[in-house]
Parts: sequence; C-alpha cells; structure tokens
Amino acid sequence: MRRAFVDALMQMAERDPRVVFLTGDLGYGVFDAYIARFGPRYVNVGVAEAQLVSAAAGLALEGFRPLAYSIASFMTGRPLEQIRFCVGYPRLPVILVGAGGGYCYSTSGVSHHAPDDVALMSLVPGMTVVVPGDPNEMRGLLPQLLKVDGPSYVRIGKFGEPAYESADPIVLGRARRLRDGEGLAVLSAGEMAPAVLDAADRLAAENVRPLVYQFHTIKPVDAEALDALARQVRTLVVVEEASPLGGLYAAVLAWRNEKGRDVDVIRLGPPDAFALGNLRRETLRQEYRFGPEAVADVCREAARRGGLRQR
Amino acid sequence: MDAALLKQKAREIRATCLQMSYDGQEGHLSSALTAVDVLVALYYGWLRVFPDQPRHPQRDRFILSKGHGCTALYAVLADRGFFPRGLLREYNRERSALPNHPCIHALPLLEFSAGSLGHGLGIAAGMLYGLRLKGSASRAAVVLGDGECNEGSVWEAAMFAAAHRLDRLLAVVDYNGIQAVGRSDDIMGHTSLEEKFRAFGWAAATVDGSDPGALLAAMERAPFEPGRPSAIVARTRMGVSFMEGDVLWHYRKPSREELQRALAELGARPIYEKA
Repeated sequence: MRRAFVDALMQMAERDPRVVFLTGDLGYGVFDAYIARFGPRYVNVGVAEAQLVSAAAGLALEGFRPLAYSIASFMTGRPLEQIRFCVGYPRLPVILVGAGGGYCYSTSGVSHHAPDDVALMSLVPGMTVVVPGDPNEMRGLLPQLLKVDGPSYVRIGKFGEPAYESADPIVLGRARRLRDGEGLAVLSAGEMAPAVLDAADRLAAENVRPLVYQFHTIKPVDAEALDALARQVRTLVVVEEASPLGGLYAAVLAWRNEKGRDVDVIRLGPPDAFALGNLRRETLRQEYRFGPEAVADVCREAARRGGLRQR
Repeated sequence: MDAALLKQKAREIRATCLQMSYDGQEGHLSSALTAVDVLVALYYGWLRVFPDQPRHPQRDRFILSKGHGCTALYAVLADRGFFPRGLLREYNRERSALPNHPCIHALPLLEFSAGSLGHGLGIAAGMLYGLRLKGSASRAAVVLGDGECNEGSVWEAAMFAAAHRLDRLLAVVDYNGIQAVGRSDDIMGHTSLEEKFRAFGWAAATVDGSDPGALLAAMERAPFEPGRPSAIVARTRMGVSFMEGDVLWHYRKPSREELQRALAELGARPIYEKA
C-alpha cells in the first residue's frame, strides 16, 4: 500500500503544482523518486510533529495542498493540538497521512500502536477520515482527497497488502460491495477487508454467504449504503482494527439510533485497552478475536440463530 | 512616521486598549499594553500592508501569536483603516468580529487565529516556505509572548525556520517579564531568550521595547544576518505607571476610576467614540 501511496503522490504532484509533501523524518528511501523529481516540494521537518503540522498549515494558508506524513501514532495523537487548532479550526485542506495505523507496528510496542488514530481524527470537526483497504483504494482515494475543501486523514498500511476486486467504483464517502450474499452483512473498516474476505471464503463451503461491504471512508460514513443494507439484512457485523470509540462501529451505532433502524450490530475489534505483550499483528487479531476465524465464527453463529432470514 | 509620532500613536493605542478592556469587560490588559509599542513599530513602519486590500498578495504576513493581547492588534488595525474604528465597540460581544482571542472566521482579514499559545511561529514559518516556493518576496512577522516561549512548539518552529534559512521571518518576543501566574524569569528559570534564539541558528538582538522608534530601527536591520531568521527580544512595559509590572493586570479589568487615571496619565483618548 505504501508503494501505491508513493505512486499516487507522484501523479498528484505532477498534475498539481500546489502539492507539497512533508515528513516527520520517516520514509527512508521510500520517497527518493519524489525528492529527485520535486526537490523543494519535499520537506523533512525532522522529528518534530508539531512543526510538521504547523508548517503544513502555513503552506495551506498560502494556497498549497500539503500532505503531512508520519507513523500513525505520531501523526495523530502527538500533534493533536496542532491538528485541531492549526488545521481543523481554520478548515485548511491539509492531508494528514498516518503510516501504519492500528496494530501495523504491533511488535514496536504501545508507542507505535495506533488503534485510536481514526477516533482522534474523527473528533476534529470537518475532518474526512479514510482507511483504504488495498493498494487500489489507496491509489483511487488519495487524489480525491485533494479535491476535499478541508482537512483529511488517511491511514495507510505497509507494503504488499493483497488487492481485491469489486464492481463498485472507488468513490470517497461511498462503501463498496466486495461480495454479494444474503442474510447478514459484514462491514469491513478499511484494511480489515482481506481478513473479512478470507472469512467469507471459508464460509462459502458451509453455505453461509454474508454480504461483504468495504467502508474505506469512516467519516463521513456512507449512511445511504447502511440504509440499503438495513432493508436487506437483520445483522451487521462491523470488523475494525480500531478503538471501539469513534470508529466505524460507533458511526454505525449512531446511524442506527438516529434513524431508528431495526438491525443488530455486532462488533469485532480490539478492546479499549493498551495492547501489551509484544504480540504480532495476527496474534493480536486472534487474541482480541477479530481475525478471519472470529469473523467466520460470528457469521456461523448468526446463521445458526436464524439471523440470516431475509427481511 | 518619526519617533515622536510613533510614541504619540502608541499612547492613543494604549488608551484604546484600556477603553476596550473597560467596555468589553475582559482582562489580559497587561498582555495588550506591553505589545503596543511593538505593534505600532510593525504597523506604522516595518510591515508592508494594504488596508483597503487586506489579502493583497504582496503584503507582509503578520501573526499575533500571543492572541490574548488582541485589543492592541484590533486597535492598530482599526487605526490603520483595516476596518471602521466604531467596530472596536463590539470587542468581546457575542457574535463579534472582535472576540477576545482573534478568530479568522470572525475577522477574515487576519492571517491566522490565536488563543492557543505556541502556534504563530510555526505557521509563519510554513507560510514563508510556501511564499518562497511561489517566488514571493513577502516577509512575515510574529509577535510572541515571553511566557509563550515555554511552549516546545516555539522551538520546533525556530529549528525549522533556521534550517530552511527563512531570513524573511522576524520574531518579536514581547518580553514583559510577566506570565499568567508570575514572573517569567522565576517560573522557568533564566529566560535568556536572545541566547536561545542564537543557539537555534537565528540572529537575535535585545531592544528597548518601550520605544517604538528603537524597535522600528531594529526591525529595519532585519535580516540581521543573511540566511538567518531574526529575533528581537523586546523589553516591553505596560506604559501606565500604576499598573507596571503587576501580574494582576493579566486578569483585572480597570474600574472607571482606574480607566480615567490611566487615560489622564497617558494624555491620550481612545480612537473610538462610545456608542
């Protein structure tokens, strides 16, 4: 996904002279081609996340379209004051890029865990929050963020995430149907999509066929897609590698309560806790029960309870 | 404008700040009064501004980073014709263009909002980086408080500005020696701001901040060294004898008697009429 990010960035910078890329001293070697091509439109501010955001805000005030890049935990929590005051409050078109959200850097410790990035960014009024699930969504969504007249946050993963197919185009704010099915729907938040598709593959042999929807945009959430799903199924299973507060689950619950929709919402994701123990990402997903097996189990259970009956 | 006229202007602006604090029933008077001479030197001297076209692309950028001293900024902007003087009556009213911390949504001719400390320098440095990319010769000035220089973000910004050789950046520290609960030199030890800016790669000077003429003369030497941003540590005063050096005036609003006494001492009237 990082390769896709660099590709998209290069194209954007080529087409739009307002694009400036700032990093908080991260991305060794990743941006060499960009630096060679765009020179002063690459700024390494050093290990100084406050200034990373403030400099981006200053550039945006002068009409530029800055992207600020750091590790997700250092991009969001650390300069939160600068994000809310210098970018959010004046509604500046700054794209904040959090590399390695969720538990991407699981074995680097709690310092590098960012299950809270989506929630923190969602708290900033006017912030668009995007979590692409595969390299295609990264390539598709980043240029769309350039057109947003306000701040945005994009969480990006590592290298080598698998791509998936969908008939639905990649449109900011619109969920994509990855699998047709019946009875219940699994809603993947961003990079959980491959795990959810893995679960769907396992279930196919058992004749349990959940709809799979990919929500790459967490804020604003696609209420139209949720409305349509509520007409089709009784159970929504939200799978997120994010805090139970302020992510897709929270958005779906808010939608359900505001609209009075009669659907059950089940969440699979990490608890509101610091993840200790130096566990690998896959192990964490097992421990916290939001990996492919857990998704398959929940769908099976819903099928057994009869939750799969059609509306 | 010569030095005597700058001093007279500073007296009128102080009188205006006092009246606004009284009318608007809001404190932070000391923070405004000590910034007056600096703002007068900037807005009647150093800054290239276009009051009838506040967003003119060739303007110099200005950010009052210590936003709580905003009555001084509002008064200077009104006096320079950026908006009608009568608007000063609206200071700190509900839905006012002039809230007690500057807001770009309320007053869009400002470069930036303020209220949270430690942001102005970093923003201005980003703006200057952008201005250089655009090939613009515009400069930027930022007024910071000495208490504000406790914020780490000020020093991240200072490093950035020096690293990128932003020598069109001028930082003026309103070194009034007072912050919210005491004297700056006591709270965080020896402030040594001139040395700190130097150590961060800036050129710096300490100036008598109660003399707008001296301030302007110092500003006009900027950049003090080519390739380095410039910092002026301005040793400022409130300019009203019975308030001088008293932390209480960070909070207190003047009584009618205190207002009259201060105006009499200044020998100046506010620049706006009461409604």
